[in-house]
Amino acid sequence: MSATDRGPAAYAPAAGAAATCVFAVRRSGDPGALAGRTGHAGGGPLRLLPLAGSLWAVVQSVPAAEFTQEALRQRLADPLVLENCARSHHAVITAAAEDGPVVPLPLATLFTDERRAVDVLDQQRSHLVGVLDRLTGRAEWAVKVHIGRPAEARAPARSAPRAVGDRTGADAATGTGAGTGAGADADAGAAYLTRVRGRERDRRAWQDATLHVAQQVHDTAAALAVAAVRRTPHGPRITGPERHQVLNAAFLVDDARAEELATAVRALHGAFPGLDVHIDVSGPWVPYSFTEGRRP
Amino acid sequence: MTAPLDFPAESDPSTYHSPSTANLADILERILDKGIVIAGDIKIDLLDIELLTIRLRLFISSVETAKKAGIDWWETDPALSSRAAENALARENKELRAQLAELEAHDERPSGRARSKDTA
Repeated sequence: MSATDRGPAAYAPAAGAAATCVFAVRRSGDPGALAGRTGHAGGGPLRLLPLAGSLWAVVQSVPAAEFTQEALRQRLADPLVLENCARSHHAVITAAAEDGPVVPLPLATLFTDERRAVDVLDQQRSHLVGVLDRLTGRAEWAVKVHIGRPAEARAPARSAPRAVGDRTGADAATGTGAGTGAGADADAGAAYLTRVRGRERDRRAWQDATLHVAQQVHDTAAALAVAAVRRTPHGPRITGPERHQVLNAAFLVDDARAEELATAVRALHGAFPGLDVHIDVSGPWVPYSFTEGRRP
Repeated sequence: MTAPLDFPAESDPSTYHSPSTANLADILERILDKGIVIAGDIKIDLLDIELLTIRLRLFISSVETAKKAGIDWWETDPALSSRAAENALARENKELRAQLAELEAHDERPSGRARSKDTA
């Protein structure tokens, strides 16, 4: 690490000062698709900063006062500002990648000035070069699998029969309900428990089937990819209650094989009779998910 | 124009999804990812980031809805963004903040009363 006193805690910018926001590192010093583009609102034009070893950083001067830790915390708590920042960041990185491989940096990677940015990035040079080598001629492809959720699989059984007082279906299914039902209710209770167990069995069978679909799609794509990452599937807030996302994966794919992967994965659409399976392939993405630099 | 990624079967995998058509959740989970972290001078707390993501996830469906309605303010320079869209989204934002507060309160009292309204 550089022996500087200017750590995050000491950062209190003067009025009108600028901070340096770094979006990505790449090999090309030619602005190309970046020419005339803006990055974050209120900042200066995008520029290319020369680094050691023929690397270039895509940077923008931004108003320092708006990019302190505290200011960011407040501003990014506003979904509208957050979305603007997210889309601006993504747009810059996407444009920067039109002329060759880039190493994308996370949202709001900021330095107090250009000198600091160059110093820190130069220390990472061998790592950055390794990642660029690995990403050259490859792109990220996203594969998501959704399965239509049958009504009975949306929630475990909840309705309790009147005969067993305040025992809930969940209690009965897990055997935690105290046996309060007297003899007259025994048959109804037994029938009820059988029904609950049957519903639970169906729900588990459906879950197992969905896991199998996810694994099959994942393995099909992974066989054609250099690397794979599985992300947490999006919840019903994003997918809607009728669709259950069972796979949210990203694959690093040689450009020459991208079409093959897309075709192979989409061919699985009809491979699961009896299940309402939707397979969604998107790309090419800048390889955000594959920047760790490990050689395959 | 390609279809938003939210709607499979309509998206053609051989086309490039421009930033304006990418699902916000897909963008966020990538740009907040811890893939390569160059220690900058200004840091955002990871916990904050997680909270941001939750907020955004509450927000995504309404953004997609707005987009389908032809509000495309994020496809232009933010400085030129449509005031009408901002007002609509600000209203939506207020509702979502209320929902988020409710969810957070719900998390703090797991044994508390059931939520008063269905937020799905």
